Amino acid sequence: MKNIFQPARGTVAPALFLIALSISIMFVDQRFTHLESVRSGISVLVSPLRYLVSLPAMSGTWVAEWFNTHNSLVGENRYLKQEERLLNARLQKMDVLLAENTRLRQLLGASRKLSDEVIVSELLSVDQNPYRQLIELNKGSLDGLKDGQAVIDDYGIMGQIIHVGHNSSTVKLISDPEHVIPVQFIHSGMRSVAFGNGSTDELELRYLPATASIKPGDELVTSGLGGRFPADYPVATITHISLDKTHGFKSAIARPKARLDSSREVLVIQSRENTTEE
Amino acid sequence: MITLNFFVIPLSLILGLTLQILPLPDWTQIYRPDWVALILVYWSMALPKKVGVWFAFFTGLIVDVMQGTLLGQHSLALVIIIFINMNLYQRIRVMSLPGQAMYVMILLLINQIAVVWIEGMLQRSTPVMAFFGPPLTGMFIWPWIFILLRDVRRKANLS
Repeated sequence: MKNIFQPARGTVAPALFLIALSISIMFVDQRFTHLESVRSGISVLVSPLRYLVSLPAMSGTWVAEWFNTHNSLVGENRYLKQEERLLNARLQKMDVLLAENTRLRQLLGASRKLSDEVIVSELLSVDQNPYRQLIELNKGSLDGLKDGQAVIDDYGIMGQIIHVGHNSSTVKLISDPEHVIPVQFIHSGMRSVAFGNGSTDELELRYLPATASIKPGDELVTSGLGGRFPADYPVATITHISLDKTHGFKSAIARPKARLDSSREVLVIQSRENTTEE
Repeated sequence: MITLNFFVIPLSLILGLTLQILPLPDWTQIYRPDWVALILVYWSMALPKKVGVWFAFFTGLIVDVMQGTLLGQHSLALVIIIFINMNLYQRIRVMSLPGQAMYVMILLLINQIAVVWIEGMLQRSTPVMAFFGPPLTGMFIWPWIFILLRDVRRKANLS
């Protein structure tokens, strides 16, 4: 018979040991990369749960497609065909420009690859942590994803990969408070960096020179400096500029081009060699 | 002794983890109760000899991976509150449900303090409501969790 009068007291020794262990794990995880394998191991264990929670949204899409009427499908088909013709026409021009550009670059002796290979991936879940802006993708190291690769959607840069598991990976969005992306103004060529500030529709540009000629509506592209993001991908549009009179700096708010909070299909850019030059 | 019925505990925690990452509209995020902590507190209160600090530690690691926080961050917080709970559970068990709910809110606040403190050391700011929201909703949801899991525990014959 069990002795019900003997309490299961929380003894101090194991608790202290585990607290010390937690703190040392945090220290190692913050400073070094030894624990990546632990993280990806646990990530494999919990990936079924991530699939599970993304099921309602996915099945919603399936059902919507299933019950699409004939008419709307025909309409969509017609629209897509037209779109394809348009894009093809534009592509022909692009091919010519591409060839010309390559030729000119060869003349200049610069060796920059112009096309990047991409892997299509789908959004698995959004990390429900109010302090961070992270998303999970359904592809991992088995599909050739690596740490630090840039992630884009059809409109612009979304973020970069920070952890890779076997069949899932974590992406830090450009709006994460810890994320900074090197950018360049298209029309003036001025370089700067854009800070995330935790909300999905804002990036901050701090400490721009007071004389900088910028105005709302200016477009920002990646500058390719720093080696993480390939150059010349659209990042954001300037929406608001303020002048800090006491310090003599301008700062600006920009709206990301990528639909950070609603894109379900994303592209992971594969080749990174083209970013290391310049 | 670990029997087949014991798996009710891991299963309830898996359900908690699922609820924790279930996609919901943005404005509800700061009110999302800390399901895993609530479920863990229940089991360590009901079966302190089976569910203790080790359980809390490994659950915390899984939460860290799922939320993309530093490995060990949630382990630390959960180990602390489960340790406190294991020293107090005999007094708490006999309290009324509202009293228990108040106690659970305090545990969840301690949990939040540990998590937010580490976030602060990493220079990440935390909105005020993101700090107080989960313990408050956790307090209101505790009676239902308690009754539900108690019935589950009786059905599964765990004691």
